[in-house]
Amino acid sequence: MSGIIEIKNISKEFKVLNRREGLKGSIRDLFSRDYKIVKAVDNISMSIPQGEIVGYLGPNGAGKSTTIKMMTGVLEPTSGEILVNGNIPYKDRTKNAQEIGVVFGQRSQLWWALPLIESFRLLKDIYQIPDDNYNSMISLYKSLVDIEDLLHKPVRQMSLGQRTLSDILAAFLHNPKIVFLDEPTIGLDVSMKSKIRTLIHALNKEKNTTVILTTHDMGDVDALCQRIVIIDKGKMLYDNDIEHLKGFFGSYRTLKVRPAGDIGKQAEELEKELKNLSVSITADDEWISILVNEEKSKVMEVLGTIQKTHDIRDMKLEEISTEEVIKKIYEEGVE
Amino acid sequence: MKRKNLRFYFRIYRKILAQDLKSKMSYRADFIISTIGMICTNIAGFISFWILFRSFPEVNGWSYHEILFLYGFSLVSLTPVQCFFDNNWSLRMYVYSGDFIKYCFRPINLFFYYQSEVFDVKGLGQFAFGIGTIIYSWSKIGLPLTFLMVIKMIIFLITASLIMIAVMNAAAATCFWITNSFYVMDLALKFKDYARYPITIFSPVFRFIFTFVMPIAFIAYYPSLVILRPDEIPLLSWLSPLFGCLFFWLSYKFWMYGAMKYSGTGS
Repeated sequence: MSGIIEIKNISKEFKVLNRREGLKGSIRDLFSRDYKIVKAVDNISMSIPQGEIVGYLGPNGAGKSTTIKMMTGVLEPTSGEILVNGNIPYKDRTKNAQEIGVVFGQRSQLWWALPLIESFRLLKDIYQIPDDNYNSMISLYKSLVDIEDLLHKPVRQMSLGQRTLSDILAAFLHNPKIVFLDEPTIGLDVSMKSKIRTLIHALNKEKNTTVILTTHDMGDVDALCQRIVIIDKGKMLYDNDIEHLKGFFGSYRTLKVRPAGDIGKQAEELEKELKNLSVSITADDEWISILVNEEKSKVMEVLGTIQKTHDIRDMKLEEISTEEVIKKIYEEGVE
Repeated sequence: MKRKNLRFYFRIYRKILAQDLKSKMSYRADFIISTIGMICTNIAGFISFWILFRSFPEVNGWSYHEILFLYGFSLVSLTPVQCFFDNNWSLRMYVYSGDFIKYCFRPINLFFYYQSEVFDVKGLGQFAFGIGTIIYSWSKIGLPLTFLMVIKMIIFLITASLIMIAVMNAAAATCFWITNSFYVMDLALKFKDYARYPITIFSPVFRFIFTFVMPIAFIAYYPSLVILRPDEIPLLSWLSPLFGCLFFWLSYKFWMYGAMKYSGTGS
């Protein structure tokens, strides 16, 4: 079965001026024709079926936004083919736009001065949404989130969280086949994040909307995505189930310890003490997390080493988290 | 999906306009202050005019009231660009910040969608000023008031507006390449001041530039010849509606070309 999004071997190249240093260099740049070609996206293929939520991940500058711009028809690929809902996005930009919704994390697409409900009414006209569909969508929204207060508030007076929520609702309003969410939870507090995840999940279930989600928050991925696609430096690193990915790192365990005293300082000490056990250490407010590869050194051995010099108040052992998996892939790639 | 014809766009525009006016009311102080500013600018324009013509009773065969007519004509023809295309002034900000991309995701014409976002009410004051000036000078010159004259007047006012819109579109669109188009737009706006004078007072070089390169002579001079000098209308006057449409179309194409090129490389 062919997917709603079919991408075959697309690449996107940008011409970038080679900048020279200093004032002299800048002046010479004015007349320079010295360009280099940068491949933002390099030979990527994927097929996404209707109704799937795909986590599209990669470090900053990996080419995520460029791919999304190509799928939405804003950018034309240098080579390769894209079909979105049967359209070539770049050639049929407006036709394609009718069937997609887009949310860019911090850039509201709503009318700044208008109350949300007025924005919705304008969108209803722009997308030519029939009355029945519009009304049932609004009542669906009302059943999912508490928007009564929001509806009559101008967008400019909203908090970032409310605005993001509104933007997501606006993107789903015309019941598009695909919605692109670019870092929808960026800068939001924990409760708002979870509210937005629940909303996206519910809308996907209710309307069978395909969702392409880019994010740096692995909480989003854990809550929403079955499948993840990872790219870095324009190349595809991984495209499969998230569980399958964790299988690659089956021998990894996360040992979490809570020592007595200052966590940050002790984490630094541990870093030195555990050097020859090839572990990686991160610390947050409560826990020092030690990622152990059991093929190289045993968890018990690590714990024993720590206990010799530190007073441990509490500890727990966990499977590798999505966050750590992704971090390892960014750093080392998939073998 | 239904086809998107002119009626569709007209309806959308009306709705956006109504919403925009509603929201403008919420910025009352801004509205009042800018209206006062507009009136002051126009009064200052008048006074400098009046002072000038106290020393020179006529310019190159043009009487005080005829020049006043030109002035009023240019004020009215500048109204549409002020009212409907004011968002051009913000274009550079959207382009610089990368926010421009948000306009690319809607299933309607990009240019239309962008311009529809802002309606500048201040232009209406200028419109009233301009109409007043035209009526005053019309009666002073003693022009006949016939149906045909009024029709001609309307056609040529639309022509002149189209030209001014075209100039500002093109000036604004330069920001897709040079990021900060403010100086280009400001320059274009300064040039429009010359539109108030009969083009014959300039040297042939400038006459050529103002006709074909920077077509500001079409804003008031060529169109108003049809009204003021019915015996010696040059071909360019009759052609000016054509030029109006042509320049507008070209500027639209230029704007869209820039927009597509920009979203190709931006942010």
